[in-house]
Amino acid sequence: MMRRWLFPIFAGGLVALGAYQATLLATPYALMYAALKKIGSDEASNRFVFSKMATADNQPIVRPSPDLSYSTCVFDLSKGPVLVDVPPVPGRYWSLSIFDARTDVAAVRSDRDTKGAPARLALIKQGQMAPAGYEPVLLGYDRGLALVRILLANPSEFTAVDAIRRKSTCKQLATSN
Amino acid sequence: MKAWQRYAIGIALGLVGGTAFAVHQVRGGLNDGLVSNGPWETGKSFGTLDASTLTRAKVALSGLMALPAKEAMYFTATHDSDGRKLDGRCSYDVRGGTLDGRWWSVTLYEGEGWLVKNAAKRWSVAASAVTPDAQGRWSFTVSPDAQDGNWLPTGSAKAFDLTLRLYHPSPEVIANPEKAKLPVIERKGCA
Repeated sequence: MMRRWLFPIFAGGLVALGAYQATLLATPYALMYAALKKIGSDEASNRFVFSKMATADNQPIVRPSPDLSYSTCVFDLSKGPVLVDVPPVPGRYWSLSIFDARTDVAAVRSDRDTKGAPARLALIKQGQMAPAGYEPVLLGYDRGLALVRILLANPSEFTAVDAIRRKSTCKQLATSN
Repeated sequence: MKAWQRYAIGIALGLVGGTAFAVHQVRGGLNDGLVSNGPWETGKSFGTLDASTLTRAKVALSGLMALPAKEAMYFTATHDSDGRKLDGRCSYDVRGGTLDGRWWSVTLYEGEGWLVKNAAKRWSVAASAVTPDAQGRWSFTVSPDAQDGNWLPTGSAKAFDLTLRLYHPSPEVIANPEKAKLPVIERKGCA
């Protein structure tokens, strides 16, 4: 009797291992896909959205920091490289980070790295070239997120910081190929 | 029962069981099996290629778009310094000294990482908000009721967590987060 169940149970165990791994592997892609959809829902790809400060009533992503101003650009490299330009905000922590479709960080540039200069990144795929003046960031997937964090020591700084961050650009490089 | 029926049952149970166990593990909190330091827990590989499949899935659920350690470290406490679960009906003193990084803040979250509605509209205490004494020691209160001085409301949350963000942490903290000097969380009393 039990011997007849031996192989079915073994097969079930193998399927369980496979399903376990597949679920873990798929989770980041699925959650990133959902987040990109939520963030980019009312905006086209390849342009910055300048979010309001996070509050209990405004939480675009999970675990938002109420001390940081967030600007986001959902990028899509399927039609060519995307250029990201972020002006410096003097005297405070700020950073530009690039997340791929699997949630991994492809690049981070903070004020400590740029030493007062703007951050200028060219998001490219294999075979694409970064134009002069841009640091290349090679990505394995078409879609992802560019995220700018700027620290506010005090909410009253928002107006001044907002004026600077709105000069940030995220745009598709016009290509001939 | 025919052989194919036995296989169908085995495979169906495997599919459901494997998926359910994965979901259970991913939902089992951000910090299982990671580095502990008093009540705080963190990981060394958030947002990086080194992250394990499970860590990446957990971070995607509870800390999507987290920065890598050289940029910022995220320490999360779900318990006080005596090991009791953080309870929204209780008051806590959070006391610390100079933290080994450029800037820090402590934010209160509920659930998978959501800011808690509260009348005072306070969600975090940052380095710039506390008043250190001559030795660099500072403190603030976490409580359901308004407090004098620096205060983080628990709102109506039953359970909550505190996330300490340390931006541009020192190389020592990045290498040995378990040895970093972090704040204590002391329970004072419960309503």
